Amino acid sequence: MTDVKRRDVLRYSAAGAVTTATALYGVQALTGSEPAEGKPRRDPRDFDEDYRGKRIRGRHFGRGRDELHVNDRPLALTEVSTLFVPEDGSEPYVAVGYISAINHYDPVEIDDARTQDGLRRLGRRIVDRLNGLELSAEAGKGHFH
Amino acid sequence: MAVRKSIADMTSAEKTAFANALRQFKTTPVNGRSYNSYIDQHITYFARTSDNISHAHQSPSFFPWHREYLRLLEFDLQTVSGNPNLFLPYWDWTGSVSPFTADFCGAITNGSVSSGNFSPNWGWSVYRSSIATSFLQRRLGQNASRPTATTVNNVQSYSVYDQSPWNSTVSNSYRNRNEIELHNRVHNYVGGHMGTREAPNDPVFWLHHCNIDRLWWLWQQSRGIDTYQPRTGTTPGVIDNTERMRPFATGKTPSALRDITTLGYSYA
Ligand SMILES: [Cu+2]
Repeated sequence: MTDVKRRDVLRYSAAGAVTTATALYGVQALTGSEPAEGKPRRDPRDFDEDYRGKRIRGRHFGRGRDELHVNDRPLALTEVSTLFVPEDGSEPYVAVGYISAINHYDPVEIDDARTQDGLRRLGRRIVDRLNGLELSAEAGKGHFH
Repeated sequence: MAVRKSIADMTSAEKTAFANALRQFKTTPVNGRSYNSYIDQHITYFARTSDNISHAHQSPSFFPWHREYLRLLEFDLQTVSGNPNLFLPYWDWTGSVSPFTADFCGAITNGSVSSGNFSPNWGWSVYRSSIATSFLQRRLGQNASRPTATTVNNVQSYSVYDQSPWNSTVSNSYRNRNEIELHNRVHNYVGGHMGTREAPNDPVFWLHHCNIDRLWWLWQQSRGIDTYQPRTGTTPGVIDNTERMRPFATGKTPSALRDITTLGYSYA
């Protein structure tokens, strides 16, 4: 086996592990949201609000599994660890953000020591970017970075 | 041989020829590719593919991947128009000349592009849109401002091409600073479809990326043409200098794409 081939095998198994983890997260998210008592689990940061004429709903299931809906249409979120370079010239920093089909080049920082309302800010930014229009079904299709 | 000009130096005949070639290609596949297949590729290769490599973005191969992507489009536009000199123009967004005019990319910069070369009336349809619309969308200047010449100079002054961990967190990296501070920012500056995963729906995508490729070429001329990192075939999850970039043909490695004088185009 050549070096390149051996490396490809490693890459494929890494990708396989990701698929499994994603599937597992899906199951956890479902069971986490509907426990036996029939009461949906709530995170104090969850929200359901009107913003510029659109209903945005955010639910927190843990990093990488949060859910966002705009007028009941889902937006698939992808977590990305990235450098943030503020336009005001302040010091760049590394943090975790969400991107989606709509804010593909504009990660919104998610909750950490620096910020606590990441999902809500993302929801509002999506509505701003939609400029009065709705999400399509394509926006609900996720992908992995 | 394509001599890629600034939009500021294009004649109106050249603008018309470029817009017409794009519109022709939108409805007429050539060389085994269609316009929409470029949109598919952008969506597929933004994400990590089944080999767990980020080919097109947030990784060292950001520059050479798009260099090949643009070169193929330029070749397809030459084929469909029958004009071997047809060129991709570049948009230097630090300057005052805008591509958003009625005779070029369309004058509507906020909302649905309902008139001009890239409106449905003229045969331009949007494909795999994550925004529910049949019109190309723009929202100029409302998500971000455009980079200034000072920002460009600052980015161009990074001397390290890229370094570990080879992703979007690297601070001292020409590739990452360009990708975030110039490339991403202009996607956001234009807004609408340019801010989405399916950004090549907006033809201004090509003008923007052509300028990004030109800036990399300028950087290469001062820092060295053969400066791609990582060099060896041992770095997991990223494209090394001599590794093929998917979905392009065998032999399309960063190394093979380093010198534009061998690729059939130049910058004026
Ligand atoms: Cu881009």
